[in-house]
Amino acid sequence: MGDIQQLDLSSITINATKQVFKTMLSMEIDPLPSGSIGKVSGNRVVGSVGFAGVVIGNIYIHVPGGFAKEMAAAMLGMEPEEMEDEEEVNDVIGEVSNMIGGDLKSRLCDAGFPCQLSIPNITRGTDFHIDTIGWMRHERIGFNKGNNPMVVEVFIKSVA
Amino acid sequence: MTLKVLAVDDSKTIRKIVAKAFAPYDCQVIEAENGVEGLAIAGKEKPDLIILDITMPVMTGTEMLAKLKAQPNLKDIPVIMLTAESGKENVINILKMGVKDYIVKPFKGEQLIERVSKVFALKPVQVQDASKPSCTSQQGDITIFTLPERIERQQGPEFDTLFQQTLKGMADAGLNKIVLDLHKIKDVNMFIVRLIIGIVQHGQKARVKMQAVGAQGLASELKGFQETSDLVFHETLDAALAAF
Repeated sequence: MGDIQQLDLSSITINATKQVFKTMLSMEIDPLPSGSIGKVSGNRVVGSVGFAGVVIGNIYIHVPGGFAKEMAAAMLGMEPEEMEDEEEVNDVIGEVSNMIGGDLKSRLCDAGFPCQLSIPNITRGTDFHIDTIGWMRHERIGFNKGNNPMVVEVFIKSVA
Repeated sequence: MTLKVLAVDDSKTIRKIVAKAFAPYDCQVIEAENGVEGLAIAGKEKPDLIILDITMPVMTGTEMLAKLKAQPNLKDIPVIMLTAESGKENVINILKMGVKDYIVKPFKGEQLIERVSKVFALKPVQVQDASKPSCTSQQGDITIFTLPERIERQQGPEFDTLFQQTLKGMADAGLNKIVLDLHKIKDVNMFIVRLIIGIVQHGQKARVKMQAVGAQGLASELKGFQETSDLVFHETLDAALAAF
């Protein structure tokens, strides 16, 4: 088993996120410099998947509510104003989380940290905070698409 | 012969993307939300091909595949796996399970068709059916519904049904743009107006984006009705297509 501290989590997460947005949403997104990570506030949708094995962790995709609609519309080939069904938006954010999390899980397995991926979860709200207590690694990467901030967070710790 | 494809994925979005990818071809896409449902439908429908996601609640794709391979009447159905995991071990395990191919998410519909084409010769959709009036054609992602010059009063329900079937086909394929081509209609009477109003209402209910092509007289007539007052008319089909 490798050293969890040696993993380049940031590059893995950035590459996976950019690839998913480009292929599934036909959107080019770029990461923000580490010192200027935006904050997703107000109404937001958070997609998450967990992985468990010799390492455990979670990946969270924080998206403003309006941008979540735009993402769903882009994936389904519709206009944002046509996205009236919250379930469809949730499904798209869940699937995006699954794809980004799946890539991270694959990189972990290839690096000697075998683990299994959970099915995606969705949290919606305006005022909540996700704690980072007890994790060995934590990466927080901001992205920007137009005026829409988006944050991808990864938390990992080894079980052994 | 129409190719019967079973798409098994817990994500409605992915099932829509799969259905949309197959829409231009002579294929019937059946959907299932998990392995249990997929297995039941496979036994009942005997699909020619199964597109199978791995990570699903209730029963995973891997579990479904094992059960499928254990059934003599289903074990030879080609399976293409969809997976969000591209790790070496995962890929090796997938191939060991006896699948025809696998696709790593994220993926585009074109990639899926390319892989399926290696297994089956996909035929483009044949819209024509000599026994029924042909109203529908396709320009990229825009559907064109054309009404003929003459419609007998007793044919009204048939065209109304045809339009509803077209809307259903569009929804299944994830399409939402339609041109209502009325340029052939010369005689504007209350029967035609009522038929068009009904059609437009179906379109509004299905939340499709609609543009219309037709003569000025017909456009003016329809502007006077609340249901069709917002329908935008164009003089040519090209102009209507460009309006999307």
